[in-house]
Amino acid sequence: MNQTNMTLIEGRVVEEQVQLTLIELCQACSAEQEHVLTWVFEGVLEPAGDSPQDWRFGGESLRRARLALRLSRDLEINPPGVALALDLLDEIAALRARLQRAGVR
Amino acid sequence: MKFKDYYETLGVPRGATQDEVKHAYRKLARKYHPDVSKDPDAEARFKELGEAYAVLKDPEKRAAYDQMGSQWKTGQDFQPPPGWDAGFEFSGGDFGAGLGGDHSDFFEALFGRHANAGQRAHMHAQGQDHHAKVLIDLVDAYRGAQRSISLRMPTLDAQGHVTTQERTLEVRIPKGIRAGQHLRLAGQGGPGLGGGAAGDLYLEIAFKPDPQFRADGRDVYVDLPLAPWEAALGASVTAPTPEGQVQLTIPPGSAAGRQLRLKGRGIPGTPPGDLYVTLNIALPPADSDAAKEAYRAMGKAFDFNPREQRKG
Repeated sequence: MNQTNMTLIEGRVVEEQVQLTLIELCQACSAEQEHVLTWVFEGVLEPAGDSPQDWRFGGESLRRARLALRLSRDLEINPPGVALALDLLDEIAALRARLQRAGVR
Repeated sequence: MKFKDYYETLGVPRGATQDEVKHAYRKLARKYHPDVSKDPDAEARFKELGEAYAVLKDPEKRAAYDQMGSQWKTGQDFQPPPGWDAGFEFSGGDFGAGLGGDHSDFFEALFGRHANAGQRAHMHAQGQDHHAKVLIDLVDAYRGAQRSISLRMPTLDAQGHVTTQERTLEVRIPKGIRAGQHLRLAGQGGPGLGGGAAGDLYLEIAFKPDPQFRADGRDVYVDLPLAPWEAALGASVTAPTPEGQVQLTIPPGSAAGRQLRLKGRGIPGTPPGDLYVTLNIALPPADSDAAKEAYRAMGKAFDFNPREQRKG
């Protein structure tokens, strides 16, 4: 049952070359539209555009949406809690990066 | 097959109430969630917790598990006794919480492999998008690379059993990619249904740990040891970069911890990152008479007390 595909595949860097619509983002992280709407409302995701039909999510939204989905599913955190957790995780990442710049591993 | 003590995994006594089981799980799940914890074993621990909780939170499965007795210890060789689950009926379905239904052999021997079967049947015509994590070398981000990537994907066969299909893809890693970014490979995800388009495959990029270099976004950091006289008098030394050695001028009077920035020597891009070289001062060992004499001469030559200087 092994299937091999040896043609060279070119990918696109999501964070730099891709913008996602609401539908594409839901498809990309297997999330319900309803969840994504809540996260936008809570400020977890910040798409450009005025209405859900016009929304365009930057590539970074993919990582945040997947993280939000895992946290809400695995730890049963509600949307405001997810928003808080993401903010705190961002802050921890920034502090860790500062430690690393200072040479602390 | 090794026995798994699910009570031990969650740290609760066998007599714990359902609420106590839930409480213990929640607490440990927050601690070991791979997105939150930096513990290198977090992912494995979290998986074990999910598996233990999947059994103990479900009164039917817990009762079946309990009747194997309490004499078993984690890691003991174990075969389920024939007919061990006679009289138990598992409602199924509620397996999938956690990081996918990827359970141990022990779990599967007891509770079967019907894990995510229901969840994967869907009506959308477009195939599912898949995600995988890929480790590359830092130098791949500098130069670009071609990597073959093996992916194991659970798929359902015609009878509804979960089988693992292995695929190898040859993927071009673009120059300038950074850890945490995603590559989207169009049409490489799950197959479409009823003639629908296949889903996409997203590869999350991470760097293999490197003994020398640390990357932070586009910038890269490296430590460079210097002899005390190189730091004090200045020197021209060779320094490593992910692309090879460069010649680096150390300014006189460099203190330990000083960072030299090599502009544009980080991960390429617009703009490219920088390479930061952190200077360390290594003391030569005083392991010969000549070396000891040199240290004594230094002591005499300097009127130097580092403790006094520290007070500022």
